[in-house]
Amino acid sequence: MAKDMTLLWGSGSAPCWRVMIALEEKNLQGYNHKLLSFDKMEHKSQEVLDINPRGQLPSFKHGDNIVNESYAACFYLESQFKSQGNRLIPDSPAEQALTYQRMFEGLALYEKVGGVIYYEYYVPEEERHDSALKRNKEALVTELKLWEGYLKKLGSGSYLAGKSFSLADVTVFPTVAYLFRFGLSAERYPVLGEYYALLKDRPSIKASWPPHWLENTKGQDTLKEI
Amino acid sequence: MAKDMTLLWGSGSPPCWRVMIALEEKNLQGYNHKLLSFDKKEHKSQEVLDINPRGQLPSFKHGDNIVNESCAACFYLESQFKSQGNRLIPDSPAEQALTYQRMFEGLVFYEKAAGVIWYEYYTPEEERHDSALKRNKEALATELKLWEGYLKKLGSGSYVAGKTFSLADIIVFPNVAYLFRSGLSAERYPVLGEYYALLKDRPSIKASWPSEWLQDTKGEDTLKDI
Repeated sequence: MAKDMTLLWGSGSAPCWRVMIALEEKNLQGYNHKLLSFDKMEHKSQEVLDINPRGQLPSFKHGDNIVNESYAACFYLESQFKSQGNRLIPDSPAEQALTYQRMFEGLALYEKVGGVIYYEYYVPEEERHDSALKRNKEALVTELKLWEGYLKKLGSGSYLAGKSFSLADVTVFPTVAYLFRFGLSAERYPVLGEYYALLKDRPSIKASWPPHWLENTKGQDTLKEI
Repeated sequence: MAKDMTLLWGSGSPPCWRVMIALEEKNLQGYNHKLLSFDKKEHKSQEVLDINPRGQLPSFKHGDNIVNESCAACFYLESQFKSQGNRLIPDSPAEQALTYQRMFEGLVFYEKAAGVIWYEYYTPEEERHDSALKRNKEALATELKLWEGYLKKLGSGSYVAGKTFSLADIIVFPNVAYLFRSGLSAERYPVLGEYYALLKDRPSIKASWPSEWLQDTKGEDTLKDI
């Protein structure tokens, strides 16, 4: 159960946050966890490498079962603990199809956000081009318009895949939270803004909110012109 | 059933191939499908956009249920057709954990391969750097060593997540096939070579093998020095 689980995580990492939301949703509070610092390169420590040869966070173990990739951990937890906590994957074909579809589109959203927020982190200075960053920003705008459309079509108060909170929200909400943390305008993206407001007070999300975001509520303005 | 399904696909696209293998494994032969040309930009045609606003392949519909993202379609097919064809996600916690873990690592594997094989396709000429391609090649070599290790640890004749073919192989095999098609050396990567040889004759894989690879068996040599 929760006591046999260990999560090594970093604050504000969307992939880590996904797993923490899933653990809360499945009533697995009480899992062992350790907060590590990316800045101090603790994700490359032996403690992490012992679980995850990639030296990445999250790193997650349940007994001897290692499931580090955040989506894999989410699927694993929903499957192994299907009958406890909240159901995260609907049974009906139509809702299930939409849940899976939005979950995996969520990877595209995450990638497009990273292409702007982390452009300088990932691209060495001598390889940076204004044209590339511009293209990445345009790609993010296109992506955001898609998600505004998806949510708008479902109607006010909806979750990403319909009327119920699902694994699509578990995996995608952290990215949406990241967007607003980095200055995305809720005036330009009102439907995403409403979705963010709807979910930020959900118990599983409040319980796992990045601690350093609580200490410093201001955030950045990298995305204010998007 | 299969007759209510439509797949728009492109030849040699690993994501398309994944869905086709899954359809075969679940005994859903007989699905409607249409081969489109990336070169002729048919993936941006209205026919595709009607199903997939992203203008990407694969695009997949089952009745009114649209599931375009390849992993989403694989999960959907396994879930909706669990009791027919081959079981693709094991029930036991340990095997399931490994299946999910390797599936999602498979997406990283694909990204690292694409970063070399399709470097020029994705990067405009004025933004290309030898240093970037070099770094991508090193990342691919590191990734390949990980997978050699994973397969070696499981022993000869194993699939990617253990003794049984699973959704992990469906995600990973097309990428492995693409690597050898692009000239990866089976001498340098013998365990991956053995895995490739094991799977290439599997009925679902033979049935969905890229037709242009049958016409031209030679392939490229982009990866011969990796």
